[in-house]
Amino acid sequence: MPAARVLYASLDLLDRQLRDRHGVECGNVDDLELTRHDDGRLYVTAILSGPGVLLYRLGRRRLGSWIQRAHRRTGFADDADHARVPIELASTISASIDLAIDRTDHASFAGERWVGDHIISHIPGNDHDADQ
Amino acid sequence: MKKLLGVFLGVLSAIGGFVDIGDLVANAETGARFRMNLAWVVVVGVVGIIVYAEMAGRVAAVSGRPVFDLVRERLGPRFGLANLGASFFINFLTLTAEVAGVAIAISLLSSINYLFIVPAAAVLVWLVVWRMPFETMERIFGLLGLCLLVFAVTVWKIGPDWNQLLSGVVHPHVPSEENPFTYAYYGIALFGAAMTPYEVFFFSSGAVEDKWTVKDLGENRINVLLGFPPGGLLSLAIMACAHLVLAPANIGVGTLDQVSLPVALTLGKVGLAIVLIGIFAATFGAALETALSAGYVIAQYLGWTWGKHAAPRRATRFHLVIIITLAASTFFALSGVDPVKVTEYSIVLSAAALPLTYFPILVVANDPSYMGEHTNGRWLNAIASVYLVVLVAVALATIPLMIITKAGQ
Repeated sequence: MPAARVLYASLDLLDRQLRDRHGVECGNVDDLELTRHDDGRLYVTAILSGPGVLLYRLGRRRLGSWIQRAHRRTGFADDADHARVPIELASTISASIDLAIDRTDHASFAGERWVGDHIISHIPGNDHDADQ
Repeated sequence: MKKLLGVFLGVLSAIGGFVDIGDLVANAETGARFRMNLAWVVVVGVVGIIVYAEMAGRVAAVSGRPVFDLVRERLGPRFGLANLGASFFINFLTLTAEVAGVAIAISLLSSINYLFIVPAAAVLVWLVVWRMPFETMERIFGLLGLCLLVFAVTVWKIGPDWNQLLSGVVHPHVPSEENPFTYAYYGIALFGAAMTPYEVFFFSSGAVEDKWTVKDLGENRINVLLGFPPGGLLSLAIMACAHLVLAPANIGVGTLDQVSLPVALTLGKVGLAIVLIGIFAATFGAALETALSAGYVIAQYLGWTWGKHAAPRRATRFHLVIIITLAASTFFALSGVDPVKVTEYSIVLSAAALPLTYFPILVVANDPSYMGEHTNGRWLNAIASVYLVVLVAVALATIPLMIITKAGQ
């Protein structure tokens, strides 16, 4: 077990911006997974984020988990839980939290992809980079 | 030299971009009804927006985090969501008023009914959001907005009794034909127009879009300190025009062309053309800012990829929100609502929602874990805290005053 950093989970982690390995926004910390270890302490083991997770945290348990399940089935081809990012993959924790993942692998990207495929890609000029 | 030119153009665009439909309507209305007796509110509002816009810009430059991101982090997701609902709704009203304002400015230039122009205006706004680089967009409409300086020229041309004009500013009183409630209500409208929350949503998100860092803090300060006070003077010139021309003739401000009437009467056709171009630029620029703000607040609350700097296919949901909001605003404007009434409600409700936006900024601007050594100084905190008390008082008074005065009648 690596030494844990002292952080106030609700202040320093919850609701922070997540960024992928390229520095692109990929959701907020909607909830945290806590695991009780043999020493009796609770450890943050994963960052939970994506459709339905925040609703679940805010007390809409059934609606929240229904959205998560529906989303897991429709959003990605595999069975993996894309809303769960193990805490080991968080490289920096400051004003935003940098994750060693690609945003396309994260649960919150399914909606982004759907809107891109079905709407934005049909509008001319959608790949025009305004800065260049 | 190039850097200096950049700063200079930035300040000029800040001046030209300061006024939007809320300022145009509120200043002309109060000038016509209360003469210069509410001018002090503009001064208070401008100082307030300077204090908080600088803070929002600094937070964005140092931490890379725009305002609505912080709203959820600091107020929590539940209260943050209520805040999002209120802010989004008010921003929607403002967007509707700005789009209608663009259409009215074009209709006054072309004599076509403005309702026919509304859809085209909305499409034009969307095209700029979709294709034009951020900085070009800010510059073009900010600089064109300087045409509104023609209001100042008008005041100068009329050649008023300056002592009398100033005495209203320095020794304000409630005019005999008004009562303290309407006076307070219009004061709040002016305050809401000067401190509109979308300005800081846009300002802080824009700082992130322009990739500001600690190195840009000086430019942030210069833009705000040199750009906003002349913008406030411009607001006062609009008020003075209405006071000098509309009040003696007993003309109230019920439509946007009455705002431009003093200029037309004093400077003739050329003046009218310039002021209409100015109104077009000011409302168009603000329509862009509010359309983008609709996308900013939702995307930042939910953590989506956002921003105009990337191609639309890389921030798809952000652009979808903007498209839907613009379409809804267009329908709302076409439904026959009175654009001036929509403007009034948007600025008064803005005033009621001010603490929701400014409180989280103040908290984060004092948090070293975001700001490092760039936290607020002691004096700035003192001023900002006084303002926060004022903001809360204004927010509490708004809805009761709205009921008592029947929305300012």
